[in-house]
Amino acid sequence: MRPDIMRLRQILVITLLAVCAFMTSSLAAADNKFRLKAGAAGEICLKCHEPFKEKLKARYLHTPVRNGECSGCHNPHTSPQGNLLDEVSTRICDSCHKKIVPENSVSAHKLVVAGNCVQCHDPHASGNRGVLVKGGNELCLDCHKDTAEKIKTARFKHKPVNEDCMNCHNPHASATLGFLLKEDVPALCIKCHRTDNPAFGRQHMNYPVAASRCNSCHDSHGSSRPVIIFEDVHAPVTDKKCNQCHEEAGSQNPLATKKKGVELCRGCHKEMVDMAFAKNRVHWPMLDRDGCLNCHNAHAAKQKKLLTGTVLYVCGKCHSDTVDLQRISKNNPKNTGLCEPVKNGDCVSCHSPHSSDYMLLQEKPSMSFDVCNKCHDWKTHSTHPVGEKIIDPRNKNLSVDCISCHRACGTGNKPSMSQFETVTETCIQCHKELERR
Amino acid sequence: MNKAILRTFLIALVLVLPAGSFSAGTVKYMNIMSIYSDDKGAAVRNPEGVACDDESRLIIADTANHRLLRYVLKDRTLTSGEEIAAPQLTYPVLVKVNSAGDIFVLDGKQRRIVHLDAGGKFVGYLEPSGLPSPSSYVIKSFDIDADDNIYVSDIFSGRMIVLGPDGAYRAHINFPGDYGFISDLAVDFKGNVLLVDSVRSRVYSAAKGAQGFSPLTEGMKEQMRFPTNITTDNRGRIYLTDRNGSRIIVIGQDGSFLGLISELGWKEGLLNYPAQLCINAQGEMFVADTNNSRVQVFQLIK
Repeated sequence: MRPDIMRLRQILVITLLAVCAFMTSSLAAADNKFRLKAGAAGEICLKCHEPFKEKLKARYLHTPVRNGECSGCHNPHTSPQGNLLDEVSTRICDSCHKKIVPENSVSAHKLVVAGNCVQCHDPHASGNRGVLVKGGNELCLDCHKDTAEKIKTARFKHKPVNEDCMNCHNPHASATLGFLLKEDVPALCIKCHRTDNPAFGRQHMNYPVAASRCNSCHDSHGSSRPVIIFEDVHAPVTDKKCNQCHEEAGSQNPLATKKKGVELCRGCHKEMVDMAFAKNRVHWPMLDRDGCLNCHNAHAAKQKKLLTGTVLYVCGKCHSDTVDLQRISKNNPKNTGLCEPVKNGDCVSCHSPHSSDYMLLQEKPSMSFDVCNKCHDWKTHSTHPVGEKIIDPRNKNLSVDCISCHRACGTGNKPSMSQFETVTETCIQCHKELERR
Repeated sequence: MNKAILRTFLIALVLVLPAGSFSAGTVKYMNIMSIYSDDKGAAVRNPEGVACDDESRLIIADTANHRLLRYVLKDRTLTSGEEIAAPQLTYPVLVKVNSAGDIFVLDGKQRRIVHLDAGGKFVGYLEPSGLPSPSSYVIKSFDIDADDNIYVSDIFSGRMIVLGPDGAYRAHINFPGDYGFISDLAVDFKGNVLLVDSVRSRVYSAAKGAQGFSPLTEGMKEQMRFPTNITTDNRGRIYLTDRNGSRIIVIGQDGSFLGLISELGWKEGLLNYPAQLCINAQGEMFVADTNNSRVQVFQLIK
């Protein structure tokens, strides 16, 4: 071989070795960023944190703890965070456990989104799998007290619920489904319940409901009624008279309803529907194709009057802006005098949900003198003149009434449901002479 | 010399840029009057409808008084104010006029269009003829184009129906697939049809002759709380009444946000749960200021 080629080869080999040596030392330094002596990782911390040795005897250890990498989460020298954490406590888990909540998830556990992982997981060790602070359903039901009560008191129980919430729910997030569900309904249900069983057909009056949403009638967490049907059941369902509303089970399109919209319900609820339609204003959704089903469940419901949810939920499906205002008002610490119906989200205390002769579907002609008056004696509210005969100086067609100063559905961050930020701002609306210029 | 020109140019550029972007987001307007009563001094109560034309005619749906009021507004002088009360008209919530001055009123209680002639005499109910699925029809709103065709929103079947001036069915377009609740519609000067979705705070459009609606805007929850009425001016600008937000939102033909008009209040120039609005060729905008029990007139400044 020519000497110059030999020299070139030597230079290349030496360069390659040098690069390899440099990379290895860099990686080692990165792994051991505090340059601990061999075997010192973990051990060195336990010299002082001796009681921690007992904790490490637990069956399940967090991986960095098992590997003795205390510096995976803690800085041994200084940190602006509590417990010498290397990162803000609500973000430190993210540094390894990325994408616990998939992007654009349909539902995500509030605690997970807030980064409050330690409410469920022990960051070091635990006797429960997943280093959970408690085992089984106890962990979930500690917070979800309503569900806990429901499960406890239900006369008819759903076995998988009593076994483990994780049978149906993902504890962190669900990319495509609501309520953190692992699978959609009915796929989730038919993993256990055979729909090809003849008994299934008989129980459903031979209607082809295998592909229907089971949770539109059944309460998966248990019920006081057999077959864990929701507490409030529509009479034709109780009486097994599906054909009162639907085409016959043996017909070509058995799940189709005999009539559409409000006309279907009018068959039985004639008096109520006729009374609603005799008013000046009908709530428009009553008149579309879904009619009553915009707010009510046709079969069974958790809520009374077969509502699809709480009043606030039902109204908020369309009137989210007003419900947002209610929520902000409710969470505003300055709003100590928040009106009870507003606080409780009881929209129907003041509004008639079906129809009304008055503006905004008010129950009575005047929001102030008729509706507020149900709870508040406005005549003795203050010495300020209020009443139908007192003309609002800002507008000659209006009287001075409750909503001259207050807003009935809440005012977000303004105190005492006031239309204005301050008392002064309220007064100078009319008393211009008091305005500071 | 050259340096001086360059310096002047740079200073001008710095001054002009922010001023230009500020005016792009602003709609200029002025409150010119408010209408509180009829010609006999009787107060207007919760008006929800207002119609205007280029002949200075103004019709108000005085909703809670179950009547219409007719005015003439010329050179900023309001005259007349006579009552139009037909027994067939029980609860007027929306009013339009056609090219002949005939009055068409949506009766909210009967959910029918009442047709009155220009003098206010009852002509008949506008019943669609030749309509597919006539039993699945509930009118929520309507508009009239320059050729007197009538565009109706049918919330039961989820469709926009085009009727001839005589009420004969001509065509329909289904509402878009993901709509929340279509409260109102408008036809602009080019014949484009616009729908306003109160629940999604969104506007949909269908160009003249189109087979379907497509979103003109994304959800505009930031700009409007619960839009219920829509109209256009003769330049194609779109005006939406934000009923719960007590203001008017102005958007361009391309759906871009142009600005806001007014805000919640009781004093003149401010609004309280407004409803229908109408803009004439002179740029006068009439707003049914429902909970303030008046109609306000604004001059839009070009």
